[in-house]
Amino acid sequence: MQARLDMFKANPAIMQGMLDLSAKIGESGLEHSLLELVKMRASQINGCANCIAMHAADARKHGETEMRLYLLSAWWESSLYTDRERAALAWTDALTKVGETQAPDSVYAQLSAQFTQAEQVALTLAITVINSWNRFAVGFRVQHAV
Amino acid sequence: MEARLNPYKLVPSVMQGMIDLEGRVAGAGLEHSLLELIKMRVSQINGCAFCLHMHAADARKSGETENRLYLLNAWRESSYYTDRERAALGWAEALTLISQTKAPDADYAALKAQFSDKEQVIVTLAITTINAWNRIAIGFRSQHPHD
Repeated sequence: MQARLDMFKANPAIMQGMLDLSAKIGESGLEHSLLELVKMRASQINGCANCIAMHAADARKHGETEMRLYLLSAWWESSLYTDRERAALAWTDALTKVGETQAPDSVYAQLSAQFTQAEQVALTLAITVINSWNRFAVGFRVQHAV
Repeated sequence: MEARLNPYKLVPSVMQGMIDLEGRVAGAGLEHSLLELIKMRVSQINGCAFCLHMHAADARKSGETENRLYLLNAWRESSYYTDRERAALGWAEALTLISQTKAPDADYAALKAQFSDKEQVIVTLAITTINAWNRIAIGFRSQHPHD
């Protein structure tokens, strides 16, 4: 596998915009471990190897357990995730596949029960930003470190 | 239908980040008509009524024809769109449905034939940004005006 182009070299100004937005999400006050789970889950759905490699390493460095990463593809069947994490993961699945799900009331009710409205906005932005990175990385075949 | 919440009131700083990013797309030099077609097509796939209302109105105001908007769902079958527009629409579909398509070589080759490396990054940001707006608007049930 080879990259199709180096997006940071081809258009640094545009990519800086993505980095700026990502930085805002990082400062939103949501738990780092929660954000990493969300990033891993969206990247699983979208099939972004580069993003999975990056966020698996980040999550492990910050103390995430191996098992919680291995079971993330079946999070709804597992007791390893808190109710707050489950609500965030359900919202991640719903928004990542929005063309199919249309972000249903049942999932939104679960989200509302666990997150303040301001947190809901921050979480939603986190989901849309990793969805954007997934599309950049898969689209341009960005290669992960080996 | 009622909105679930108003993200601009709740977290203005984060939403300003989205607006700034959109500003970069708009100011990057791509044809306005092309950007509107991308925004319309992605919003069709994701089912965002709020976004379709906004961009249909914007496109018409900027001189887009009615028929090019009506036939956009079936752009592959129509002679209304230029090769450059077709390449961008193919890439928009491939990236929006990324979990199914994986951004195939055929779509990338069509993109590469019509857009410089620098432009490919702009088109891609335009696609990811409207995908983000769609998710925000659908997720929070943003309501379009009734006109």
